[in-house]
Amino acid sequence: MTDTYLNLVNSGVTAKLAKQLGLPRPAPLRRYRPGQPLLDGPALVLGPGKDADAVASLLSSGWDVDVHRHAAPDARYAAVVLVLTEVTHPTDLSAPVLAAAATLRGLARGGRVVTVSRTAADDDAPALAAARQGVDGLLRSLAKELRGGATGNGIVLDAGVDVDAPSVVGALRFFLSTRSAFVDGQLLTVSSGAGALPDDWEHPLAGRVAVVTGAARGIGEAIASTLARDGATVVCVDVPSAGEQLATVANRVRGTALQLDVTTDDAGARILEHALARHGRIDVVVHNAGITRDKLLANMTPEKWDSVLAVNIAAQLRINEALLESGDFVHQPRIVSLASTSGIAGNRGQTNYAASKGGVIGMVRATAPLLAAFGGTANAVAPGFIETEMTARIPALTRQVARRLNSLQQGGQPVDVAETVAFLASPAAGGVVGRVLRVCGQNMVGQ
Amino acid sequence: MATPKTPAPRRALVLGGNRIPFARAGGRYAHASNQDMLTAALDGLVARYGLQGERIGEVAAGAVLKHSRDFNLTREAVLGSALSAQTPAYDVQQACATGLETVVSLSNKIRLGQLESAISGGVDTTSDAPIAVSDRLRRALLDLSRAKNMQQKLAAAAKIRPKDLAPSTPRTSEPRTGLSMGEHQALTTAQWGITREAQDEVAYASHHRLAAAWEAGFFDDLVTPYRGQTIDGNLRADTSLEKLATLRPTFGLGLDTPATMTAGNSTPLTDGASTVLLGSDEWAAEHDLTPLAVVVDAEAGAVDFVHGEDGLLMAPAFAVPRLLARNGLTLDDFAYVEIHEAFASTVLTTLAAWESDEFGRARLGLPGAFGTVDRERLNVHGSSLAAGHPFAATGGRIVATISKELHLRKQRDGGTPRALVSVCAAGGLGLTAILEAA
Amino acid sequence: MTDGAAAQVVDIERMPTMGSLYPVAGVRAATSRLRPASRELPATTLRTAGVVATAEHLTAYQHLLGESASDRLPAGFVHVLAFPLAFSVMVRPDFPLPVLGMVHVANRVTQHAPVTLGTPLDVTARARDLRAHRSGTQVDLVASVHADGELVWEGVSTYLAKGVRIAGDAPDDERAPFVAPVPTGEWRLGPDTGRRYAAVSGDRNPIHLSALGAKAFGFPRAIAHGMYTAARALADVGAARGDAFTWAVDFQAPVLLPSTVSVRVAADGDGFAFAGWDRRSGRPHLTGTVGPA
Repeated sequence: MTDTYLNLVNSGVTAKLAKQLGLPRPAPLRRYRPGQPLLDGPALVLGPGKDADAVASLLSSGWDVDVHRHAAPDARYAAVVLVLTEVTHPTDLSAPVLAAAATLRGLARGGRVVTVSRTAADDDAPALAAARQGVDGLLRSLAKELRGGATGNGIVLDAGVDVDAPSVVGALRFFLSTRSAFVDGQLLTVSSGAGALPDDWEHPLAGRVAVVTGAARGIGEAIASTLARDGATVVCVDVPSAGEQLATVANRVRGTALQLDVTTDDAGARILEHALARHGRIDVVVHNAGITRDKLLANMTPEKWDSVLAVNIAAQLRINEALLESGDFVHQPRIVSLASTSGIAGNRGQTNYAASKGGVIGMVRATAPLLAAFGGTANAVAPGFIETEMTARIPALTRQVARRLNSLQQGGQPVDVAETVAFLASPAAGGVVGRVLRVCGQNMVGQ
Repeated sequence: MATPKTPAPRRALVLGGNRIPFARAGGRYAHASNQDMLTAALDGLVARYGLQGERIGEVAAGAVLKHSRDFNLTREAVLGSALSAQTPAYDVQQACATGLETVVSLSNKIRLGQLESAISGGVDTTSDAPIAVSDRLRRALLDLSRAKNMQQKLAAAAKIRPKDLAPSTPRTSEPRTGLSMGEHQALTTAQWGITREAQDEVAYASHHRLAAAWEAGFFDDLVTPYRGQTIDGNLRADTSLEKLATLRPTFGLGLDTPATMTAGNSTPLTDGASTVLLGSDEWAAEHDLTPLAVVVDAEAGAVDFVHGEDGLLMAPAFAVPRLLARNGLTLDDFAYVEIHEAFASTVLTTLAAWESDEFGRARLGLPGAFGTVDRERLNVHGSSLAAGHPFAATGGRIVATISKELHLRKQRDGGTPRALVSVCAAGGLGLTAILEAA
Repeated sequence: MTDGAAAQVVDIERMPTMGSLYPVAGVRAATSRLRPASRELPATTLRTAGVVATAEHLTAYQHLLGESASDRLPAGFVHVLAFPLAFSVMVRPDFPLPVLGMVHVANRVTQHAPVTLGTPLDVTARARDLRAHRSGTQVDLVASVHADGELVWEGVSTYLAKGVRIAGDAPDDERAPFVAPVPTGEWRLGPDTGRRYAAVSGDRNPIHLSALGAKAFGFPRAIAHGMYTAARALADVGAARGDAFTWAVDFQAPVLLPSTVSVRVAADGDGFAFAGWDRRSGRPHLTGTVGPA
C-alpha cells in the first residue's frame, strides 16, 4: 500500500509546507537488503563494566563496526548501545544515560538506540529492582522521542543469561539492523543461553524447513519470501481457494505449495506429511493464517465469533499438538505465531479477533516449555498497523489516523513483520521463549 | 571400444498432477488462451512439487482446438512457467485422447530410460477457440502474398467476395460424416437401446461423486485455482434425477427411436488444462516424491464409424479386451474403472458391448461376453459429465485423480490395486491404459 | 442414318466446353417445336483424343467432393471430363429428344483401371437404347475412356425426357418402397452447392445455379447436381473401393438447395451400398452401390 502522506511530507514543496505547519513528518524507513552493512556509521557503546566491553568487542571485532566507548564530539552515531546490566541502584543510570543523551541530536537518520539490561526479579534487592525496572521506562520514553526513523529497543536478560548468550547477540544484531525497521519501543527478554549463532548472518535459516500458513498474500507472502531469503526451504500453506496466488508465491520462493484449510482436523498431520515427505524435516512453523470478522460484541453472531476463533487460535492449537506428538519436530524447533496489538490492548469491534490473538499470546507462553527439551521455542509477533490489503479496506480517514498513532508516525510493511518472524525463527533466538514481540512502530496503545 | 550401457526397461511412475478447475465455456476463462491455461496448470504443478528451475526431461501436451500461432504451444507454456527454460517440450494431438496419449508416450520413454522425468498435459478452450477465415479468403490472401506485381495482386484481391469475409468457426462435427459427436452417439445409444433413465443415473452419480470428492478435500492437492475459479464450474452438487428428467433431449431427434440424450447427460463445452508429473523410481527418490501409480500398459483402438460399422465412440470397447488379454487380466482384476463420460451413454454403450454375448463372440472373437463392471468401481470420483470436458485436458484429469486414489487405496488396504482408464475420441479413436498403485 | 446402322465415328479435335454447348441446346429447344423430331437415335459416336486434365482442375474437384488431392482421377472426375462429349451428342440436330429439361435418372460407371493425371485419354460418346418409360422416354448416353488403347473407364448416364412418347411398352419398374435406414452421416448442402459444382464440372445448367433459373424449369429452388451427390457418396466409400469398381446410382428426387441430406454409406455384401434422403420426410434422393468391377 502507498502511504501518500508519507511521500508528500518527504518531498519537494509539500515537504517544506509540512515542516512550516508543524505536521507530523514520518521518515521513510530503511529496510534490509542482503549485503547491506550492519550499521552505516560508528556505534557508541556506553556502560560500566565487562558486559559493555564484551558488547563493544563483539561489535568491533565480530561485526566490523567502528565502535566508540566514549562519545566523540560531533560524531554522528548510527547506533548507541547502553549496556546497563550491571546497574545496582537507579542512580547508576545517570552517567551512561546522560552520556547517551548528548549524542541523540547527532544520531543518524534511522539510528538505533539499544539498551541491554537485566530482568527486575521479585527477589531482587529493592534498589536493584528499581534500577532494572527503570530501564524499561527509560527505553519506552526515549523511543518516543527519537525522530528520523530512529528506533529504541531493549534486550532484557533473565538471571543467569550472559551478555554473550546467542539470543542476546542475535537480538542485538536484529535491533541494530534494518531488519527491525518498524520495531520500536520494545523490550525483548532473553530467558536462557540456548540457541546457536549462524555461520552466515545472511542465511541464518540455511538448511531449515519452514511452514508458513496463510502464505498466499500479504504478511504471509512476505514471511515466506523473507524466510526463503534467509535460507529456509519454505512450505507455503493456504486455503485451496487461494491456490493460484499460493502457487505464485511458492514458485517465487522456490518452495512448495500445500493447499490446506488449517481448520480441518488433519491439518497438522498433512503439514507434517508434506514437509517430511518432500523436504525430509520440519523446523519452523509460522502460524500466520488469520481472519477478521469485526462486529461489536452486542451484534456478534455465532458464525463470526466461532469462525475467527477457529482459524486464529483453535487451528494453531491443534496443529501444535500434532507437531508435538509427531516426534519429528525436535531439531531446535520454532513456532512463531501471529498475534496482534488488538490482542494486547484491545480494539473496539474486535472482541472475537482480540480473544483469538490474546489466546495466541497465552498459547505460545504455555507451548514454549513443551519444546524446551528439544531446544525449541514458541513466540508471538504482534503487528500493529501494517499496510496490507486488509488495512487498505479501512476507511481513508480512519486509516490515516491509525497510521500516525505510533512513534514512527507511519504504518509498517508486511516485510517488517516478516523480518521479526525470521529473527524469532532463527537458531540464534533459542533463548527467547514464550514472548511477544510487537512490530508496531511503538503504537500508542497497549504495553 | 566402449561398452554400451543402454538402459533396460523399468517402471514409469505417476508422481502427481495438477489441473486448473474446469470452467464452463464463456465463463471465467473466456479470455484465457490455451497457452495461459497450460502455463497456469504447469506453474501449479511446479509449486506443489517444488520444481522451480528444474530441467524436466520432456513436457508433452496438446490442445484439440488449436490456433495456428500455437504451433509450439507446449514449449511456449514451458518458457512461461517456473520450470527451467532448458526443459524440452512438444505438442501432441489425438483429439480427446491427447492428454492420455501424452501420459502413455512419455511413460514409455521413461520405461526405456530415455527420460528420468516428464510432464504430460492437455488444454482446451472453446471460449477462445481459433476462428479461421473462409477457405476462399484464405486462398485469395495466400495468392495475394505470393503475387509479384500489382497486376497479380489486383487479380488475387479481385477474387475476394464479401461473403468470403465471414469467419469459419471450428466445427465439432466429424469431417467425414458431417454428424456432430452427439448425433453419432445418439445412433449408438439407439443401437444399444440405452434408456434415458440409465443415462440420467450416470450423470447423477457423476455429479454427486465429484461433489463429494471436492467436499472431502480430495482435489486439494490435484487442482490449483485459476482466475477466481476454485471448483469445477460445471459441477451441480444439488442435481437430482427429477431435475435431470425435466431436460429436453438435444441429440437423436431425427431418429425413429425416442431421443434420450440431453444437456444433462452429455458433457458441456468446457475450458481447462491439466498436467501429470511422471518419473522413474530414481528420479522420484532424488526429489523426495511419493510414487502414486505405475503406468503399466496402454492400447489404442479405432473403429470404422464412417461406414456405420461401429459407433463413433466405441473404439475402447475393442481396445480394452486386447489390452487386458495382453496383460493376462480380466475386468474383475480392476479395483477402479475410469470410462471418460463424453456422454452418459458412451459409458453405457461400452459396458453394454462388454456385457453382450453376441458382441463378445462376433466382434471380439471371445467365447461369450467380455465382462461386467459394477458401478461401485466405475468413475468413483465422478467424471466428465460433472467436471466438464476440456478435450485434451481430460486424460490428465483422469490419470491424476485415479493415481491418487490408487495410492490411498493401497495405503488403506494394501495389495496392488489396479485401474483401467478408457478415453474415447473423435475420429472413431479410443485410448485405454492400465495403472496400478506404486 | 438409322438406328442399328454401322457406327459412324466423328472426331472432334478438342473437347468442347459446356459453355459453348448450352447456347446450342437453347437454340435446339427453341427450334425443336418447329420441326417434328425423328424418334431414332443417331449412330454417330463422337471421339476426342488426347484429353488431359490440369492439376488445378483436378484439385478443385477433389477438394469440393471430399476426395484426397492425389494424381489419381476420381471416377466422378472422369465423368466430368467426358461429359461435354456426351452432351455434344445430345445437342446435335439428329438427337431425337429435347436436351433441356431432360432428367438424369441413373448413372452406371465402371472403373476398369486407375487413371492417372497426365495420361492422355481418348474419350468417345454415343447414345443408345432409346426406350419408352411410363412417364416419357429414356435414353442412355455411353461414354468410354481409353488410355494407351486400354478401356479404363466406362459410364452410362440414363436420361428421361418427360412427356415425350415413343412407340413401345414401358417396362414396369416399380421400385421397392424406400425405408430410411440408420444414417452414417449427413451432408449440409449450402445454397451455393450447385454453383460450386458447376465451377468444377462445367455443367452450368441454370436449374443448378439459382432459384430463378430453377423456377424456369418448375423447381422452387436451385437443385444439386445429381452427379455431385453421387460423387460425394463415392468419396464417402473412400479407399475401400479399390482400383477397379462399379459405381451405380439411381436418382429418385432432386435435392433442393439449401438442404441437409441424411446419408448412409455402409458395407453391403462384397461392396458398399449408399443412400441419401431427406432428413425430415425420409424421402429418398439417391440410392446406389459401389462394388467390385
